[in-house]
Amino acid sequence: MAKPFGKHKLRDILSGYGFMSPAIIILGCFLLLPIGYSIFLSLHRVNLLGTVSYKFIGVGNFERMLDDARLWIALKNTFRYALIVVPSQTMLALVLASILNMKLRYRNFFRVAFYLPTVTSSAVLVLIFMWIYNRNGLLNFILESVGLPTYNWLGDPSVALLGIMIMNIWSTAPLFMVIYLAALQDIPENLYEAAEIDGANAWRKFWRITVPQLKPVTFYVIVMGIIGTFQLFDQSYIFSAGSGGPNNATLTMVLLIYQYAFKSLDMGYASAIAFFLAVVIMLITVVQRLLFKEEKLN
Amino acid sequence: MKKRLSVFMLLMLALALVVSACGSKNNEGASPSSTQSNASESPKGQVEVTLAGWGSSPEEQDLLKQVLAEFEGKNPDVKVKYEIIADQYMDVIKTRLIGNEAPDLFYLDAFEAPALIEKGVLEPLDGYVTPEFDIGDFEAPTVNAFKSPDGKMYGLPKDTSTLALFYNKKMFADAGITAPPTTWDEMMSISEKLTKKKGSKVEVYGLGQAPELARQLFMLKAYGGQLVDDKGLATFASPEAEKGLSLVIDQHLKAKTAGQPSDVGAGWGGEMFGQQKAAMVLEGNWAIPYIQGNFKDVDFGTAEVPTVNGEKGTMAFTVAYVMNKDSKKKEAAWKLLSYLTGKEGMKTWTSKGFALPTRKSVAAELGYDKDELRGALVAGSSYATPWQAGPTLPTLMNNFNNQFVAAYTGQSPLPDALKKGQETANKEIKAAQ
Repeated sequence: MAKPFGKHKLRDILSGYGFMSPAIIILGCFLLLPIGYSIFLSLHRVNLLGTVSYKFIGVGNFERMLDDARLWIALKNTFRYALIVVPSQTMLALVLASILNMKLRYRNFFRVAFYLPTVTSSAVLVLIFMWIYNRNGLLNFILESVGLPTYNWLGDPSVALLGIMIMNIWSTAPLFMVIYLAALQDIPENLYEAAEIDGANAWRKFWRITVPQLKPVTFYVIVMGIIGTFQLFDQSYIFSAGSGGPNNATLTMVLLIYQYAFKSLDMGYASAIAFFLAVVIMLITVVQRLLFKEEKLN
Repeated sequence: MKKRLSVFMLLMLALALVVSACGSKNNEGASPSSTQSNASESPKGQVEVTLAGWGSSPEEQDLLKQVLAEFEGKNPDVKVKYEIIADQYMDVIKTRLIGNEAPDLFYLDAFEAPALIEKGVLEPLDGYVTPEFDIGDFEAPTVNAFKSPDGKMYGLPKDTSTLALFYNKKMFADAGITAPPTTWDEMMSISEKLTKKKGSKVEVYGLGQAPELARQLFMLKAYGGQLVDDKGLATFASPEAEKGLSLVIDQHLKAKTAGQPSDVGAGWGGEMFGQQKAAMVLEGNWAIPYIQGNFKDVDFGTAEVPTVNGEKGTMAFTVAYVMNKDSKKKEAAWKLLSYLTGKEGMKTWTSKGFALPTRKSVAAELGYDKDELRGALVAGSSYATPWQAGPTLPTLMNNFNNQFVAAYTGQSPLPDALKKGQETANKEIKAAQ
């Protein structure tokens, strides 16, 4: 313990940090400092426009959140969104990947075709979908031509979020599909052969071999999916022209943060909500880790 | 162990120094270099003034460029750099004001003015105004919209517009209606005649509506309702306000003779009217060149907004040029501002009728009060409700609109919606104070 460092050792340390310094500087500048600053902001009442002032109010911003009806609506919307989108896109991705993993003809074509939505810019996707959902758009045109009643998909609060959900599942499932596809090809063939000899049918093979083998990947996909859904912003922003309407139906946490930060210039409160959102995401991830813990024993 | 820690701390300190040095260097470096480059680009003694505005129609922008060219011709020592902020105008302006990168002059809607004035980022203009500038020539309400509570003037209105009733002459003739309605009751019965249904689906609405506070504030006030009290708190959930607003809701939900643009797949009232999916709309001056340019076959007329409860009422929307308090070129900026809002500049700017002048002399010279289409709009300015209600208006508007749409689509009864909107708005206003 008390042994003094030799010159040699010090040089080692210095050169070590020297090599790390680009990463430390970049992470410090763009990750640690902003995090620290936002925690600082969240404890203050901040005025940036005109005379800049920081007034320490302790947990005042967090107390204010308890009483903020729009915050709870945003949180509820975000949860509802994640609860529907994450399982759907995970399952869809798994099914698509399994199909594409079979020895199909033209499967390379299908792999590319299915992946296309992910490559498209999300702003463009939203505009295309808004055209589909429009009162005189494609969806209503199809409904009308088969004699079904049409609907104001964009204007009705009860279906507005659903519209974004469908769009998001469609556009992000292929990304996870590719991850699943890579993992599927890693499963040793002999497991399936052994199961076949034991008389297992296709369904049993899928359920007893494929799904358990994919567990670590599923964990990754679900965590990334939840983080992605909690960060939902651009789609509901374009959808509602920044308002989160109709009737707060498409208001998400990040959109609310944006509104407080840039519309009302209430940076302190916006930082407090951002901090709160970070804690929520962390909690969910921890819970998931616990649920998937048995994996480690294998 | 301790030593290693101290080495690490030292490194972090060095890092912090590097970072902060970087930062300050950037900050200091940016502004002198940019002014230097400006100076080297332009001839000696010339000052460059930045003017920012939101995007409008190409025709309107050409007109502004013409005014700016005229100004530059008369003032060779000032060069104008015109910037267009196409999207989220106020967010961009506020962020740039914080970062000290804001333009010298910029457009400001009356609706946003009190909040910016309160923050003290605008330059008071009283000291610049000369007797020749003739401030008394402006319509008083349009200037008052940009005054602080203590009476200082922070902006000069570049133009204004009220709402008027646009009606489709052919549809009126087909339905055997000879004159536009003058009272709201008349308008309701006329709407019924003009609405065309195919099965249960409405193809043409009698009236196109915009269920938002900016357009419905005068309806709210028609029976004596108030939007806001003197403390900036919402007071719109009153029986009086409800009485006026229920006229809007009932026509949509009960009579089914009015609808909003999204009901027929249009983006706004002018488009809905142009596509002939509404026989009447309440729109402003901006809709006239739009309809004339994009829907040439639509023959339309304008009339004053029908009276509600026997009282005349409409909305007025005013936009001003304001000066950035941190501007380094205030003299040159004032030169430009006073030219744009002066008699000469305003005459060119409003000559094509995209916007109505805020100077009485210019309005009289251009003869808009006798214009067939714009007469009704000019007439409205004497009794219009200006779209402005103090610094809390953005919060009020957000919550009102959110709930009013819920009532408009039949999701919640109007009294409940207004009450909920008012409670949420007041909670937010109190929390932000």
